[in-house]
Amino acid sequence: MLFAWKGRWALLTAFFISVAGGQERVQLCATCHGPDGNSPDPKVPSIAGQPKLFIETQLVLFREELRKSELMLPVVKGMKDAEIVQLAGHFSKLPAKGMESGKPDPALMKTGAERAKALRCGICHLSDFRGQNQIPRLAGQREAYLAAELRAYRDGKRTGGDTIMAAALYGVSDADLRALAHFLARSPAPAPAR
Amino acid sequence: MMKLIAVAVAAAFAAPALSQDKPKPPPAWHQGKPPAQAESKLAPHAGKMTETPASEIPVSKLKLPAGFKAELWASGLPGGRAMAVSEDGKKVYLGTRVIGRVYEVSDDGSKRSVRVVVDKLTQPAGVALKDGNLYVFAIDKVLRFDGITKGGDVKPVDMTAKFDLPPEQHHNWKYVAFGPDNKLYVPFGSPCNICEPPTKEYGQIRRYNADGSGKEVIATGVRNSVGFDWHPKTKELYFTDHGRDWAGDKGFEDELNKVSKPGGFYGFPYCHNNNTPDPDVKKAKACEGVTKPVLLMGPHAAVMGIKFYTGKMFPAEYQNSAFVVRKGSWNREKPFGFDVVNVRVGEDGKASSRPFMSGFQEGGDSYKFWGRPAYVAQMPDGALLVSDEQVGAIYRISYQRPKAAAKKQ
Repeated sequence: MLFAWKGRWALLTAFFISVAGGQERVQLCATCHGPDGNSPDPKVPSIAGQPKLFIETQLVLFREELRKSELMLPVVKGMKDAEIVQLAGHFSKLPAKGMESGKPDPALMKTGAERAKALRCGICHLSDFRGQNQIPRLAGQREAYLAAELRAYRDGKRTGGDTIMAAALYGVSDADLRALAHFLARSPAPAPAR
Repeated sequence: MMKLIAVAVAAAFAAPALSQDKPKPPPAWHQGKPPAQAESKLAPHAGKMTETPASEIPVSKLKLPAGFKAELWASGLPGGRAMAVSEDGKKVYLGTRVIGRVYEVSDDGSKRSVRVVVDKLTQPAGVALKDGNLYVFAIDKVLRFDGITKGGDVKPVDMTAKFDLPPEQHHNWKYVAFGPDNKLYVPFGSPCNICEPPTKEYGQIRRYNADGSGKEVIATGVRNSVGFDWHPKTKELYFTDHGRDWAGDKGFEDELNKVSKPGGFYGFPYCHNNNTPDPDVKKAKACEGVTKPVLLMGPHAAVMGIKFYTGKMFPAEYQNSAFVVRKGSWNREKPFGFDVVNVRVGEDGKASSRPFMSGFQEGGDSYKFWGRPAYVAQMPDGALLVSDEQVGAIYRISYQRPKAAAKKQ
């Protein structure tokens, strides 16, 4: 455990040295998203190993207030594109890992896997849900966060760069969204395709 | 949420027994996907929402006919696409889609500066200038910035209520322009890949007076037109239209259409290209009464901006010919487009196309592109501007006569 933490800090330190000026931003991100980008808070997403373009796009959407978040807006307000690109590059390269502890619920895992297949999540998010380009990694994402965002998409409260997710989740029940979140959060988190 | 009339093939995509048994429309760009392509990973390309530094835009890779030159004219315009140029050429306004901004590029003669005129809009893709006033069309909003070309901050006039905008978003981002009749032309796309539009207000091009009054539908059966211009001599409207997806690599082709007189029906969703009925949305005599395209522009080409050339800089053979941009395919295993072509319309009305600008897509039969051209505009000096939506830049295309001729001037 001690080694793992040392490893993380070493990685961060290396980053601080390599990009002077970016360190404050990285530290700020780490406060909520975890020092290695894997979130200790179940309601906060993990950003380690997310596709670079996905992180860039979301930060721009937050900054432009097209994706509304009272927590994120103060952080990204006035952020330059170059800083966004740098942050996205940093976190996209960090290894992703699943953060859910506790035993998987077999019934939820089964339903979640079935729904993911039926809804064809893998066509865009890829078959192991690692994400690609502007499309996020779902595998190993925090369960509570996923459940909340899936609901927001379905209910038209969140749109991405397009309206695809709202249409993809149209009419899916709360129970199925919970199962999807449970299953995806416990799918092994692979490195993203670049 | 979309209440699109179910297309037979949508069943091929439908998920088995959703818990609430509601009909689930697939994502708009997925509609019409046949079982054979159900697992296809083809998907619209990712846009880029951050600035691309000028040093990372490889202009030298662009290819043009002999005598033509491309230079990077402006950058730092993420998502910039349709352009409206002021009469003196010193201001260029660009609309965007996802990033929600309208940009103003100011030219002081030696360099360009960029500012954001308005942001936080829902896909403000349509921009047009009339008498120094800028019209901005988002999907759900119309704003007018009076006297903006003179400089300074201008508070917009909200014109939304005048234009009767329908609620669906898909294919309802705009291209807008004033015609030679001083009317404002506005397209309303069909909100799906392939469907009978949910109501009659989609799948058409309308024109209005500049204040939004006098609405008139001038074309119907249009799938998704995001580019048009008027022939300098005949004053006829030529509009580009995207063909449907998920019908294979060969088609259907994108189209260049002509409006000789208002009120024509252009076939969507029943009939495509030259008398080919749609395989999914069927109707008896599907192609009867359909106005045929002037020219087919290639499968999944994503045909965008069009501009008839009336400048003096380019050789005479380009006079009154059109530059047409093909942003490039996604719904095709092998890439197509990613270029600007030159379309010449003969006295007999027949049109033909030849290559003009390429070099954006470098992967041959696989996708590897660094830029995607979107729109063309003509500058007062006769140079051509080409916007690149992928890297958020504008290229200036100029022509240099052979040296002997240039010396005489």
